[in-house]
Parts: sequence; structure tokens; C-alpha cells
Amino acid sequence: MWTRKAAFTFTGGIALVLIGMMISNQQMMILGLSLVAFIVVNSWIAGHGDVEVQRTLSADNLYKGDDLYVELLVTNRSNRKTQMLDIYDNIPHEMKLRSGLNQMQLNLKPGESARIRYVLRCPLRGHYSIGPVSLRARNTFNLGVEDMYVDHHSDIVIFPQIKDIEEAFMRSRTPKMYTGATTLRTPGQGSEFYSLREYVPGDPFKNINWKAFARTGELMVNEKCRDAVTDLYLLLDSRDLARIGTVLKNPLEMGTVSAASLAAFFLKRRDSVALAIYDEKLSYLPPDTGDKQYFKLLSALAGVTPKGTMPLQAVTNSLSGRFSRGSPVFIISSCEGDGTVPAAVRDLVGRGHEVTVLSPSSVDFERLVSRIPRMSYEVLKLERQNRLTTLAGSGAQVIDWMPDMDLSQALMQVRGY
Amino acid sequence: MAGEVGLQSDVLLEGTARPRTLHLKNLRRQWQILSLQIVATVALITMYVQVVQTYVVGSIDHTILFDSIELLISDQLPLGDWLTGEGRDGLSRFFVPMVMGLSLGGAMAFIAFQSPKVQQRIKLGFIIGLIVLLVGRLLLSWFAGMLFEFDLRLPDESELETLQWPLLMILSLIILFIYLLPVIMGTRGIWGLSRRSIGWAIGFTLLFLGVHAILTFPLIKGQLGSYGGALASLESQSSDPTIGLFGLNLVTKEQFDLILIAVLIMVFQEASYGVIRNLEYAFRLPESCKRDPEYVRQMDNVLNTHLRHTFFFLGLTGLATMVALGFHKVLLTIVSDTTGSQWAGQVSESIELTLTYGLVISALLFLSIMAVLRFFIPWQRVIGLIQSRGMKEDAKPASKDFTQL
Repeated sequence: MWTRKAAFTFTGGIALVLIGMMISNQQMMILGLSLVAFIVVNSWIAGHGDVEVQRTLSADNLYKGDDLYVELLVTNRSNRKTQMLDIYDNIPHEMKLRSGLNQMQLNLKPGESARIRYVLRCPLRGHYSIGPVSLRARNTFNLGVEDMYVDHHSDIVIFPQIKDIEEAFMRSRTPKMYTGATTLRTPGQGSEFYSLREYVPGDPFKNINWKAFARTGELMVNEKCRDAVTDLYLLLDSRDLARIGTVLKNPLEMGTVSAASLAAFFLKRRDSVALAIYDEKLSYLPPDTGDKQYFKLLSALAGVTPKGTMPLQAVTNSLSGRFSRGSPVFIISSCEGDGTVPAAVRDLVGRGHEVTVLSPSSVDFERLVSRIPRMSYEVLKLERQNRLTTLAGSGAQVIDWMPDMDLSQALMQVRGY
Repeated sequence: MAGEVGLQSDVLLEGTARPRTLHLKNLRRQWQILSLQIVATVALITMYVQVVQTYVVGSIDHTILFDSIELLISDQLPLGDWLTGEGRDGLSRFFVPMVMGLSLGGAMAFIAFQSPKVQQRIKLGFIIGLIVLLVGRLLLSWFAGMLFEFDLRLPDESELETLQWPLLMILSLIILFIYLLPVIMGTRGIWGLSRRSIGWAIGFTLLFLGVHAILTFPLIKGQLGSYGGALASLESQSSDPTIGLFGLNLVTKEQFDLILIAVLIMVFQEASYGVIRNLEYAFRLPESCKRDPEYVRQMDNVLNTHLRHTFFFLGLTGLATMVALGFHKVLLTIVSDTTGSQWAGQVSESIELTLTYGLVISALLFLSIMAVLRFFIPWQRVIGLIQSRGMKEDAKPASKDFTQL
């Protein structure tokens, strides 16, 4: 495609030729013809985008705020030079360049390669894709330009940040609530040896005790003691209201950070953690333990976006049957715009669950982005305080989480209610 | 694979040698950039000389204007003849002014790279100097006169006469400045990296050519009387060609000079804008990229290509224009040689073909054929074949040794 310069040159050339003919001036005609000849000669050779692109990332998953190292290898696979080629690696707009540049102007010889290295900062959690690679081939004098792209993508998941939680903060008024894994003298999934029994089809081969097989001549398998773990339930409010505040600081962002941090803390202690995210629908991840569950939880939290208006009671009603008896429940919600919260909490407490409400203060988040009159702010704060006091009165432990407060600092408030 | 990716790091070398970077300070001393700037400067000077030789010298040059002014004021202008070129013949009238113009353009480019504070001081000094030059002597003699005579009065005639010399001096300098505008602004643009100045240089040249073309149009020239007679005009009908390729005479000497002017304008434009474009790109790069050997290598590739293409494509443009202008003669020669018919001879004597529009139509026909040939002849493949043969050995070494760095 012609550039503006080419169009002007050509038009100017033709105009000069015509004016030159009109006034019988050779200089004008020759100047005009030269400009046209310049365009014609330059049209014979054009750049191309026949290049192979290979992108290498330092990690496929990383945590919010981490740096991602990207290397883009561009190789000219054709038998001729690329001419002037602008390479631009498309990055999600949420990511910021920290070092290097995601573009390069190059002219690759046949078979030659060039490496573009840059570092991205990932300030927002989510599922992202880097790519495609945009190419713009130009000729030396910028007369012709052709835009192309190489459909090469690299997917990446940015997990929410994990904050350190001190064990002391997690102590409950109920003794030994969060005890971590303890072995029970009953057979089941666990790590300690319980007994030997005969092999039955379907038993995994890794459990076969080969020494016993050599001794007795019959296939025997090891049975393990069942690990009794605390099942912890995290209920995360991802309704549309949770987007109040800035992109980086809003109830949902703080909620995902706290959910990820709590999950990491309990999974490290070999407890089982379940996650329910409610927005326009309910997404439920059953309780489980281990690294796989940790990855599942983080992936689920990475993809959370605020939408919908599902009430908490609908969540508790549908999940109460699945909750283990007496297991602790963490509700992470601003408790705004949902009149069913007190009833839901009362219901859970009534069923014997230890309920903790971690409530990011949406009024203060709103204050970050819009000017709220002092009187209105005071009234809104008072309303919120009353709401939280009602929840505390229902038997839940309530944490009023301010935007500038660290998670561990917020969890210290558990004792306050 | 993930572990292979690391932070960009500088190339560390021991000893006194430093790695090449894309900092402007280094880049401006790089041979490709300097070559492009020198090419642009040579093109500018040659273009100016060609234009002056074709249109100005002996008809409307500055010495004639100075002579007219001197005749008008019945006095000599303050600028010396050695400086203005008065008394010399032909193109030599422009040698000293051109050196002055180049020096002034160079000085302006040098000032452009000074800090804003220094620039401001120089501008202030220039303005004060100009004021002192203009009214210094008047004020001095006037105030001294009033002081010694203890009389508050307006300046008398003898004191006002002191204004004549500076006014004539400034007028002469302005006239020289206007004549040398393309050289001054062009030099400033090339070495001071100013697009605007380059635009001024090209624009002024084109404006001059345009105004000259209009003034030499027979109808207008006739109206101008004796003034019009002084203007150097080109013949609208071309005589027999004397310059050509492979035994085929394509263009006349006059046409060749005009092609040269056109091609040199383009060489000047592309080389100087190319330098600015590439330096702007390097300037915008973040610090880590400026130190990255990959970016340095690719900048080398881009600059080398620019340099090659400036010579190759603009040379080819000149050749194509030449062939286009002589295309009708080529066709007729081929027809005449192959058929031996008299038709070719009769057509070649046709007045329509020797007139300008005949030339232009055949030239545009040739250029159209060349443009269409692009779709039939695989230029890209041919060039690719040549390039791949020539580049196979170059493409392999990716790392640079100490001496290359």
C-alpha cells in the first residue's frame, strides 16, 4: 500500500508534468517525471513478512506484581532480505514494560535472526495472552507499507498476590479450630502406614508391597491411615459491586488476595480448602488439599471478574449441604447491596460453622475514586458499622478491612469482635 | 526453556574498548550516518551549483543585483567584492558566498546542539550586535554631540548619515542570505537534524524553479520586457540527444542537467530525512535497548541498506528518467533498425514528437510499462536470488568479536 509520502510524490509528479506541459517548461516536466520514476523504481522491491517467530517466557504462571521476561526470536526464512521491517509484539494493555522494548526496526538478511528481549510487569491478576506479532514492512524511502501479523500467542496466568499470614492472627476463640492434618486410626488417603491387605483389582500399583509379595507369593498392598484435615470454605463475593474503587484497589482485588493468601496458608498446613465464587452464578471448587488444589484455586481466582448480583443466602442455601460439619467458613465480601447477608451468616452460625466475615470497606474504596461529601461519608460509614455489628451479633467474627490496611493487620481485628 | 530467558545485560568487555551503543552521541559519529550526511551535503551543493549554473549565473545572480544597487546609490556596498564575488565570471561568483553559506549553516547546526541557555545567550548576543551595528554609531555621535554642546536636540543630517552604512550592510547580507537560503538551511537541516530546515531548503528551491518557470513562460516573459529578457529560459523543443546508454543517445546535455537537478533534490531529501528518521528511532529507544547488541546490529543493517538504496534506487531513478525521455527515439531506432522502413524516419521528423508533450507522453508510457512489468517480472525473486547468494556467508556469524565491537 502506498504511504502518504508516495501518494504526494506521485500526485506532485503528475501535477508538475501537467503544469510543465501547459507552460512548456522542461524543468517542471523532468522534475515531475523523475518523481514518477522514483515511485515506479521503488515499487519493484518491497519488504516482506515471511519470518518465523518464536516467543519464550520466563514463566507460564506468575503472581501479581511479578516480572515476566519475554524473548522474541525473529528469523527470516525467505531467500531475500526483509527490507525495513517493524516488529511489534502485542502485549495486554494491563501489563507494563519495565525494561527493554517490545518492538524493533530491523532488516534481516536471508536466514538471519534477531532477538527482542523485554521485561513486563504484571500488576493485575487474570488470564492473558501475549501476541500476535504485528509486522510492518516498509521500503527504505517509506513509499510503500504493508501491515501483517504472525498469529503467535503465548498464554499466561497471573495469580493473585500471596500475602504472609502469621499463625498467631489465625487463632480462633474456639480452641484447635485450625489444627492442620492429624492422622486417624482408620484406613484411607493419607501418608502414614496402617496395615497390609490383599490386592484387589483397581488398586494402584504404587501401593503394592513388593517385599510382602516376595515373602508370601501373593500380591499385597499397603494401606495408609486417613489424614483428618480441617475443611475450610472460602466464599468470595465477585458481584458487580465489588469493582468499586480503582483498578488496582477494589474489594474484589483485595478479596482475591485474601482468598489466595488464606488458601495458601491452610493448604501449607495440609488442610483442605474449598472455594465458592459468586457473581451472576456460583462457581464451586470442592475441598481438597495439595499443590494441585492450590493451583486450581489460584487459577480460579485469577479469572474472577466482577459481574452479577447473586445474594449470599442463595450461595449458602445451595452449598450448606456440602459443608462439613463445624468447618470454618470465610466470607469475603463488602456486604454492600445484599440484604441476605445477616440471614445467611445466622444460618451458617446456627449450623455450627465458625464464620469469619472479611469485609473490604467499599465506602472507603469509593472515596478513592470519587469525592464523597463528609456528611454522606459519615452516614455511609455509620450504616456500614451497623451492618457489621449486626453480623457480629449473629455470632460471626467480623473484620472491617480498610483499603490501606495489610491483610495480616486486618486479620488481627478478629479478636476485636 | 523458561530458565533461558534473562535480563538484558550490557556487553561487558575488559580493557579500554567500549561496546557500541545507540546513544546519539555515539551514533552521530557512526560511519553510515556520517556518510549519509556527507552524501546529502554533496547532493545539496551540487544541486545548488546546477540550479545556479542553469538559471541564475549571468542573468539574475546576486552580483548583478549588487551592481544595480551600487548604481542606484552611486556608492559601493559595504561588503567587499572578494566576498560577494563581484568582478568574477560565471560560477566563481558563488564560490565565496557558498562557503559562507555552508559555514553559517554549520554554525547554526552547531548552535542547535547547545543547551537552551547557551542558545538563548547567542541569540541575545546576535540581536544586541545587530542593534549596535544598526544604531550604535548614530547614538554614540548623537549623544556625544548633545553632551558636548549641552543641547537637547534631534540627530542632525550628518549623524543620520551614519545609518546608511549599517543599513546597506544589512541589506547586502539579507540579499546574500536569500540567494544562499537553500545552502544555509540545507546545511543546518542535515547537520543540525532539522526537518523544518530541510523542508525550507527544498521548498525554496522548488519555489524558485516554479516562479522561474512561470516568469519564463513566453506570454509573461514578453510582458516583462527587458527584465524578462535577462531570464535564462530553456528551450521547449529538445535538440538531438548526445548523452545515452549502450550506444543509444537518449537525452540532450540540457535535459541531463535538469534530470541531475531533480535526482539531486531527491538524494538530498532522502539522505537527510533518512538520517533524522533513524536517529529519532534510536533516540526513542529505552536505555536498555540502546545498549543491546541486537538493536545495534539491526541499526547497522538498516543504515547500510539505506546507504545502498540511496545510491542504487536514486541512480536507477535518474536512468529511468533518461530512458523515459529518450523512449520515443529508442522505439523509432528499434523499428527503423528491425524493419528498415521509412516510416520510422518520417515519424521521427514529426514535430509532435519533438515538442514537449510528445516527449512526456512517450516518457509516461515507458514508466507505465515499467510499473506494469512489476507484475510480470519477478523482481523480488531475482533480487532474493542475488541477495541469498551474496548473504549466505554473512548471515551465519551472530556474535561479534572484540575488534568488531
